[in-house]
Amino acid sequence: MVQLQKLTPLDDETLEKLGFSWHTDTDGSKYVSDALVSITQEEAEAYYNASNELYDMYVEAAEHVIENDLFFDLGIPFNLVDVIKKSWENDVHWHIYGRFDLAGGIDGQDIKLIEFNADTPTGLFETAMLQWALLKHNNMDENKQFNNVYEAISTNFKRLITLLDDVDEFDSRYDGWKILFSSISDNDEEEVTTKLLEQMANDAGFVTKFEFLENTNFDENGVYDADENSYEYWFKLYPWEDIAVDEPELATTLTNILQNQEAIILNPAYTLLFQSKGMLKILCDLFPDSPYLLKTSFEPLENTKQVEKSVFGREGANTAIVDENNQLLEKTDGPYDNYKKIYQEYVDFPKDREGDKYQAGVFFAYEACGLSFRKGGEIMDNMSKFVGHVIV
Amino acid sequence: MKHISSIAGGVALGTAGVMMMSVLTGCEAPKEELQNRFLIIEQQTNGKYIVVEEVPTEGPNRAIIREKDANGNTVERFMNEAEMKALADQEYQKVQNGTSETIHDNGGSAGMGLAGTILAVAAGSLLGNMIGNALMNNKSFAKNSARTNKSSYSRSSASKSKAKSSSKKSFFGGSKKSSSRSGGFFGG
Repeated sequence: MVQLQKLTPLDDETLEKLGFSWHTDTDGSKYVSDALVSITQEEAEAYYNASNELYDMYVEAAEHVIENDLFFDLGIPFNLVDVIKKSWENDVHWHIYGRFDLAGGIDGQDIKLIEFNADTPTGLFETAMLQWALLKHNNMDENKQFNNVYEAISTNFKRLITLLDDVDEFDSRYDGWKILFSSISDNDEEEVTTKLLEQMANDAGFVTKFEFLENTNFDENGVYDADENSYEYWFKLYPWEDIAVDEPELATTLTNILQNQEAIILNPAYTLLFQSKGMLKILCDLFPDSPYLLKTSFEPLENTKQVEKSVFGREGANTAIVDENNQLLEKTDGPYDNYKKIYQEYVDFPKDREGDKYQAGVFFAYEACGLSFRKGGEIMDNMSKFVGHVIV
Repeated sequence: MKHISSIAGGVALGTAGVMMMSVLTGCEAPKEELQNRFLIIEQQTNGKYIVVEEVPTEGPNRAIIREKDANGNTVERFMNEAEMKALADQEYQKVQNGTSETIHDNGGSAGMGLAGTILAVAAGSLLGNMIGNALMNNKSFAKNSARTNKSSYSRSSASKSKAKSSSKKSFFGGSKKSSSRSGGFFGG
């Protein structure tokens, strides 16, 4: 049973003052739970260790995919292969942050990898800021949370300059290079998330600016804001695979920008390899004994309760759960059906008294840096709720 | 807990933490500094005004208003702090009764009436931080404020025509695809 601690919630007005406007879901229900998941220090440590180990495994698996030309297996759009390879060749294409989605880890259940959101993870404001604010608001000990997300990402921005060297070198090496941050307009959540990342970079010492995607300009020589100022870095909260499919000309331009070393795009194109759920199968091939992996295949698993997913897909769409007799138990529709499928062994999430299920999200920025939970049903969809945590 | 760090006193939240703590403790820190400005405000062909120059100043707030006369000639007039404050006050009254254009979404077009423009860019320094911050918490006001100020969003006609002739391209025109909150919080 998931252990919960009831809270006095933050009212909507305060949430909005904090910059958090997406507090109510489209069905009118509150998106933020009025309880915290209680975890032990050991459980927090286990999430930390699992995520760090999983990241190392992903890096090894990506190397394997590139060396053996397995892009097609992962469902990678062909027009991104070059830019992925180029981004992989040089450390300057530094991965800023990602989020592992994990089953288990509490209530005596083993930690299992569900997937890695490595390209455009959201839930960032909630994890880095909001769950801390909930502790503060309830006069609880702020030290009792696995949450170093803000500082870890801010520090990781410095590594764009220092790479593997000591980040203290940043000040002496940084020469005014600018980062442009972009998200689509008309989406508060993505705008706030992107601006939070901008603030982290700004705190790190970078010159930054925000420009909506529609107003950002591109040519072979770089990336520009609406006033035609050019930038050395461009962070986009927009999926690489959507650029490939919806804006193929831009995919070509970005490839040339990288080739000409005119700008660095964040998160780097190779994070699409991590993002592909096809990677779960590659990981199983390479690390068959890992305790963190669920059996995953490109073909349906025999006599196994399993989950069918598209290699790229969001918000729980186009997901199906079938039992060991191949009987369909649950299914969601959506726009991602055209993508290749993978089949992942089913694992039950930890449940609370009401039977709601909890999935852990661990943010990663050079190392695991923060934890939060999602509460929902069998398939975590866009109606799932955010739940913070406290270490007891 | 050797590896697991948490946020002690919000310190690790950087500048974002300062804002968070000020909201949570109910004593919001000034977002807009009491910095006086020297503004050049220009009337556009559609009659609306935008700020084309903004210079921090040690002296009082003041502005040059650049307008077209009946013959289409550009005329400039000077506005002192008292006059600016009177206009800002007048517009703030409209904010309070809900009729000010500064708090309405004007569909993305830049520029407002003169009083609205002055309030949008200098509310804090003219009427005090409390009013300035309260206004900036209104999303439409914040947007209008940004759009009215050339230094951040609005562009002069010269740079617009340059953009048109440039080979740079923008994308995402029709795309409203969201990268989504869940970003792949898939169950299973």
